[in-house]
Parts: sequence; C-alpha cells; structure tokens
Amino acid sequence: MIKFEDVTKIYPPSTVGLERVTLEIEKGEFVFLVGPSGSGKSTFIRLLLREIQPDRGRVIVGGKDLATLRSWKVPYLRRNIGCVFQDFKLLPNKTALENVMYALLVTGSANSASKKRAIEILNLVGLGHKVDSYPHELSGGEQQRVSIARAFVNHPPLLVADEPTGNLDPETSLGIMQLLYRINKTGTTVIMATHDREMVDRMRRRVIALEAGRVVRDQKRGGYGED
Amino acid sequence: MGKISFFLKEAFGSLLRNYFMTIAALVTVFLSILVLGAVLVFVFMTDAALKDVEQKVQVAVYLKTDPDPSAEEVAALQAKIATWPEIKTCTFVDKETGLQRMKEEFADRPELFESITRNPLPGMFEITLNDPSPAVVEEVASRFEGEPIVDEVRYGEKYVEKLFALTDQARNVMLIFIALLGVVAVLLIANTIRLSIFARRREVEIMKLVGATNWFIRWPFVIEGVTVGFLGALLATVVIILVNNYLLGRVSTALPFLRVPVDAVPYTIVTGVLIGVGVFIGALGSAIGLRRFLKV
Repeated sequence: MIKFEDVTKIYPPSTVGLERVTLEIEKGEFVFLVGPSGSGKSTFIRLLLREIQPDRGRVIVGGKDLATLRSWKVPYLRRNIGCVFQDFKLLPNKTALENVMYALLVTGSANSASKKRAIEILNLVGLGHKVDSYPHELSGGEQQRVSIARAFVNHPPLLVADEPTGNLDPETSLGIMQLLYRINKTGTTVIMATHDREMVDRMRRRVIALEAGRVVRDQKRGGYGED
Repeated sequence: MGKISFFLKEAFGSLLRNYFMTIAALVTVFLSILVLGAVLVFVFMTDAALKDVEQKVQVAVYLKTDPDPSAEEVAALQAKIATWPEIKTCTFVDKETGLQRMKEEFADRPELFESITRNPLPGMFEITLNDPSPAVVEEVASRFEGEPIVDEVRYGEKYVEKLFALTDQARNVMLIFIALLGVVAVLLIANTIRLSIFARRREVEIMKLVGATNWFIRWPFVIEGVTVGFLGALLATVVIILVNNYLLGRVSTALPFLRVPVDAVPYTIVTGVLIGVGVFIGALGSAIGLRRFLKV
C-alpha cells in the first residue's frame, strides 16, 4: 500500500526532515508514528500527501510513484487519503454538515446524495444532533469528530492522522481513538502520528519510532517507549 | 448544474461574509473605472470636436467681382476642379446664396442688411478635400494661381498646420493615458483581490487537502471577482453618464457658442467597454491573486 524507499528530505538550508527512511505499510494496518517534535512525523505525512517531494528516494502510494504523479492528478490522490489534523482544519464558515459535504462535492458527487451520505456519517461519529453547528460552536472533541467524518466520508483506502488527539483531554481522546479503530476495522489503513504515550501503549499496534529523521524502531505490537 | 449553483452560493456567501473586503474591492474597481470612463468620454468629445474642425477645413476660392465672371467661365473652372483627384466636394456658392446665408446667420440683426443696396459678396467655390492634411491643402490652393477669374484663395494657411499637429498629439496622449490607466486599474484590483484571498489562504489550503481541484477552488473566487468588477463598473458608468449629461446641459446653456458636441459620446459603446473592462479585470485579478495560493 505504502512504500518509502530510501527517502531523504532536507529543508533548506540543512534541517533534516527525513533521512534514508525505508519502510512498507500493508493494506489494513494500523500504524503509530511516534517520536519527539521535529523527528520527522509531519514530514512523513506531508510526503504521503505530496505536499512536498523528497530530495532522494521514492514514495509509492497505492502502487504509484508520487514523483512521477502529474500535479493535476494530486487532488485525485488526496481524495483517496483521508486527513485528520491536530488543529482540525475545518472551514470556519461552513456548518459541520457543509464541511463534510465539501469533501464529497469536490469529487463531483451530487448535492442531494452528498447531503444524505454526510448526515449518515455524522450520525456515525455521534454528531447527528449538531449537523448545523459551525466549528466555533463545537467543542474540540466535536470538531475532531467532524474532521474525521470528513476524512472518512469518501471511504478512502488510507486515513492519515497528524496528532489528532494533541489538543484534546484524555477522555475525549479515547473517543477519537475508538473512532479511528472502528474505521481501521472497515479495512482502511490508518497512520497516526502521536505523542500520546498512554494511547499507544494501550492499543498495542505497529509502532514506527522516528528520531532526527531516522527510523529508530519498527515494532509489530509495540508500545510508545522501548520494551 | 448542481455544481454551478454550488459555486454561485459559495461566491455570494463569501461576498456577503467578507463584506468589508467586498466593499474595498468594489470601491477600487469603481474609482478605476470612473477615471477610465472619464478619460474615455473626454476622448470621444475631443475627437468629435476635432473631427468637426477637420470637416470645416476646406479651401475657399473667391472669385473676382468687378466684373463678375460669366456663368460659362464659372462652369469651366468647376469642371476643371472636378477632375482633380484630391477633391471630395466642390460647390459653387453664387452671390445671392452667399447673401442669403449671411442673412440667416445674422437673423437676429436684420438692421445690418437694411442699408445694403447691391450684393457686395463675391461668388465662391467651397472645396473639401479627401485628405485635408496641410501639404495637400497648400498644393491644391497653389493651383489657383494665375486663374483669371480667381481673386483670392483662403485656407487658413499656418492655422491648418498647427491644428493638425495638435490633433495628432492630443490623440496620442489620450491613447497613452488610457493604456496606462488600464494597467494601473488591473494592478490595483489584482492587489485588492490578492489581499482578500490572502485573508482566506487557510481555507484554500484546506480545500486542497480535501482533494479539491484548482478549478473547483478557483470558480467561486472568479465569480466573486466578476461580480465585484461588474457592480463597480456599472456604478461608475451610471455616475459618468449622469455627470456627463448634467455638465453638458450646463455648459451648452451657459456657453452656447462653444457648440458642445452633445451626441459625441456613444453611451452604449462606453457602457459596454467599461462594464467589459470591469468584468475582465475582476476575473483576471481573482485568477492572478489566487495563483500563489494554489501551489500547495
């Protein structure tokens, strides 16, 4: 599903983003990406989304080398990757429903069908009663649920979450984790960058630890720290 | 169809939501188009005035009066003139017609003519030329030297040359001015729109991350730009037409001898041009303003 082949990314002038990273993630996996700030987690995700390109090596997603992907095809790549971010990245002037619908409308899906799907998925994440609320009227946990609903509404084969619980209290975080877990159960590959030690230790999933841009540990059923 | 209504809803929603930016852009378009329109109207007016003067530049050939030439002599000369290729029209104005014209011109002062017992005016040819440029005028005028029945040829000599130099210059200056104004207007509007888009770059970034194509993001912005351009230009056009009519009315009653070319400004053309320019720079400004932010 995802292959990094000897990937190096240097931010000018000489900040290391990733250095000689080689790894493979299979379809349906749930992967934690852990490491301190600046270890390369965000670089990893931005490479997946082709926000940036590697200086060396190849990033292959769904069998396609992203370096050879034409720029007009990038939107189509991103429709197959659901994104969840620490700061939610919701459109501030749209309601919860409109935010979720937007992800469907960009694919050319009809208005009425999109609305139906969006309401379904918002019900699924437990926000059926808040479809007409604007982001600023929602709590952090609720906003993150909207953002997960938006990421998953297209049923993408891959879901990428960059510190999705970073701004949330432990209890709310647990709810978000359960949501991601359920999404993973439907066959969607989930990659989650996180600082949340407790969560990682509890889930016992594959852990890829990064430090200064290098993979220092890749463990099938790992915890946050060495064990 | 669903897409178009979605884009329209997006565009008008954000025009209302960001009303301050909308007004700023609207005022920019309005002022730019207002200046552009004022210059355009001025160009049309001066052009009409200059054309009017050009039309009048003709060669007047006065015939001898004592004695008046015979009808045959006049006819012979007229036939000769008619063979010259430079000539557009050549009309013989006989003494009586000349006097009649003069009476009409001074209709409000009939006492001037009471004392006249005989017609003192000479017969004359009024000649207009295909190309009324100074060289041609002089050349044609010179051909009358030595004609036995011709007394005098008048064509405004130096005055003609100066007039033409002036009209040529005036036109060139106007054209340059209009071109410069157009560039300034586009830059101003592009900048205003870029500012408004800069305030919304986060939105654009999110749209890109969700997988929107550039055109999906661009359309609402372009519709916004076109709407602002259209409204600003429409407003400016209305103001220009109202002010122009008002001023023309005032000028022509206050200074009747100026003969202001009232119909000189073709309003349909001016309206079309200004609104076309407004819409175009609105769309262009949006597209230019958005370009930087689409590279994510």
